[in-house]
Amino acid sequence: MVDNIRLQVVSTLSSSLSENQRLNQFDNIEQRQEFIDQQINIQIKSLGLDEPWYSPKKIMNTLFQILTLNLGNSRFFTTHEGSSSVNDLIIEKLPYTILLFTTSSLAVVGLGIVIGSYLARKEGKITDKFIAGLASLSLSVPPWWFSMIMIVLFSFFLQIFPARSTPVVPPDSPGYLASLLYHMTLPFITIVLIGFASSIYYVKYIILRVIEEDYIKTLGVIGIPPRKILLKHALKNASPQLTTILGIGIISTLGGSILIEEIFDWPGMGNLFYNAIIQNDSPLIIGLVYFFTLLYLATRLVLDLTLSMFDPRIRTEDN
Amino acid sequence: MNYKALLILNRYKGGIVGVFLLLFLVTITIYTLLNIPSSERAEWNNPSYWINYPKNAAPFWTNYFMGIFDQKLPEHTIFTMNDAALKNYSEGTDYKIENRTFVYDYDFQTFPPAFSIPYSIQVGEIPPAVEISIKRPDGAAFVIYYNSLESTYTGIESQNRANETEEIQFNDEPLFENQNRTSKDDPTTNIASQRLFSSSREISESLSEYTNSFDFPIRGLPAEKIIFSDTKNNVPLQGKYEFIFSTYSFDDDTKVKDIQWIIEGKVHGLMGTDEFRRDISFGIMIGTPVAMFIGITVAITSTMIGLFYGLISGYKGGRTGGFMVIIIDIFLSVPTMVLFIILSLNYGKSLLFLIGLFILFGWPGLALINRTFSIQIKNYPYVEASKLMGESDFRIVLRHIVPQLIPFTMANFALSVPAAILGEAALSFLGFGDPSFPTWGQMLQDAHFSSAEILGYWWWIIPPGLMIAITSMAFILIGRSLESKAKLDKKR
Repeated sequence: MVDNIRLQVVSTLSSSLSENQRLNQFDNIEQRQEFIDQQINIQIKSLGLDEPWYSPKKIMNTLFQILTLNLGNSRFFTTHEGSSSVNDLIIEKLPYTILLFTTSSLAVVGLGIVIGSYLARKEGKITDKFIAGLASLSLSVPPWWFSMIMIVLFSFFLQIFPARSTPVVPPDSPGYLASLLYHMTLPFITIVLIGFASSIYYVKYIILRVIEEDYIKTLGVIGIPPRKILLKHALKNASPQLTTILGIGIISTLGGSILIEEIFDWPGMGNLFYNAIIQNDSPLIIGLVYFFTLLYLATRLVLDLTLSMFDPRIRTEDN
Repeated sequence: MNYKALLILNRYKGGIVGVFLLLFLVTITIYTLLNIPSSERAEWNNPSYWINYPKNAAPFWTNYFMGIFDQKLPEHTIFTMNDAALKNYSEGTDYKIENRTFVYDYDFQTFPPAFSIPYSIQVGEIPPAVEISIKRPDGAAFVIYYNSLESTYTGIESQNRANETEEIQFNDEPLFENQNRTSKDDPTTNIASQRLFSSSREISESLSEYTNSFDFPIRGLPAEKIIFSDTKNNVPLQGKYEFIFSTYSFDDDTKVKDIQWIIEGKVHGLMGTDEFRRDISFGIMIGTPVAMFIGITVAITSTMIGLFYGLISGYKGGRTGGFMVIIIDIFLSVPTMVLFIILSLNYGKSLLFLIGLFILFGWPGLALINRTFSIQIKNYPYVEASKLMGESDFRIVLRHIVPQLIPFTMANFALSVPAAILGEAALSFLGFGDPSFPTWGQMLQDAHFSSAEILGYWWWIIPPGLMIAITSMAFILIGRSLESKAKLDKKR
């Protein structure tokens, strides 16, 4: 931290000294150094860095900086525009992470709902066991290892997709979107493959439990076709649990995104985080951890709110 | 009776598969602990230990498939001094010639990637001369190296000399493990050790004299592509090669201590080798006990903490219980992966630290489950009865509640092993593993850093990940079947 300040103070001072002739009236180099040290000391005092970590001044200062999202500057990384501010970096990378992980989570849950509800109605012993086995398998296989295998398979042996997912076209050129989507395909397929089995397994489990309930059984007795029961009533009643699955899926992919993004070289937050760790870029690491936590908590909050909207049973007794 | 046994087998099919996988892992663990001494386990990061191995070699059994298409890759071959097929010995008036011939039957479609010749000679008062030549199947004979060794050798000096002239990296490690250098001070046992590489300048210089024997320009070609090449085209020439190592000695003290001919191959070993010439099967074997240790330690500790924490918070209830649940909630609302990274970034790379982290974040989920159970069991009539009889809380918990939870705790234990193993692998993959011994995650990290995926070194990627998957699969299957058993017991 102190090193950072020293760097900043020296760079701003030296530029202002060279511009401003009135300031630049030192007899010798020692005097100039003394002036710089003085400025650094003033900065350290004002930030409370000379005090121990528990001093209220320092804590309040840090808290204020974090609350105002003033996360400082990265040491080694810049955005395409050349800004090294942590905020700018995160804002540049966030859409990529959301693009990949939200679409793949939606695809996983969508596949789960379609196939899972179909299987719930069909009750096939062999397919059930197959799906259960696949689900255990996908739980025990590390997703990042699976990604490496997919790269070997599709980029080295079959040569269908590129191994590195960062598009080679610059972002402002017309073919960028097509290139981005093409580069996104392999990570997308990987995430869907690793997740769909357990999603189907859970959806089937939930829907079977809903179908077993009396009010759904009554519908069947009345003579409503099973397809309609499933789509209109069973899915509707299962929707709170299904939303939970979606939310848990998104939350769990956020953490795993670091490794998968790094392996595919997807230009998102996870990749940035990994590179920041390797370069030991502490302001960027702290900023990204803060953002990951915020994103995580926001997802949980949204999840809780949507759940209470879908399911009146979940609302608290107070109101 | 038999039918009943079959029924039970059918119900726990997954569990039985899990037990077999576990037995497989335990066998590897025991084999590793018995057969690989701990001193050897630390050699993983020592490059000179692996210098005789080939670089990026595929597993040997791939040749069985490639053989079908007549595309066999050269196998890694090491000739030791005992393999010298022919020894002849002739004596002149004041000199002796010792020839050692190695016969190599070469029948592959591609060139070997490299070769190296480490040798060490005990030098007497008059230094000997060394000549290395090759007799090819087409009758041509090349002298690829000739050098008269200098006098007053010690092993280290000769290596330094080699360093200067041949741009080869040497360290003070002996080239041969069994080399005895304790008697270095004795002048009669000066040992000259050197390792010639196919890329050595002296070899390429000697080979450039044979330009006329080839119908194509050999300038700039690596030595192995000249030696093993047909004279008309630059394609491999199959047949019997004879490598001859001759020493011209002028006194009786000069003795050849050791020679090896290492013809580097593209296939070697059960699982191949990696970029750093390390045998992948060695890493896999050492990784097994480490992974088992991590998984089981973390699982035992976090299950125990989770069990008792959950029991106490459920049993106590009220304000204390509520507070304890808040602590659980705090732990659960943290994105663990991100926090693990930040913590291991700051507080070191030791295995015990990682284990501590996994325990710290492993127990809250289990505690929550156990809490629900203990609330249920607390209200059973017999528990309330024994409470009225004045039994202490401690006794009630231990005697009435814990036994009820044992099946579920066992299942929880089995299910929390894979979490720790997967977590450790992920963190090692990021580079936060304990660097003193290999784990599967670290092997995958090395592979990723060397771009193994892009270069297609699948044998470097598949085994470690497969071992991770097998280990967690074993415990998941066992845990699932224990869980279903616990549920069945409860229904009864």
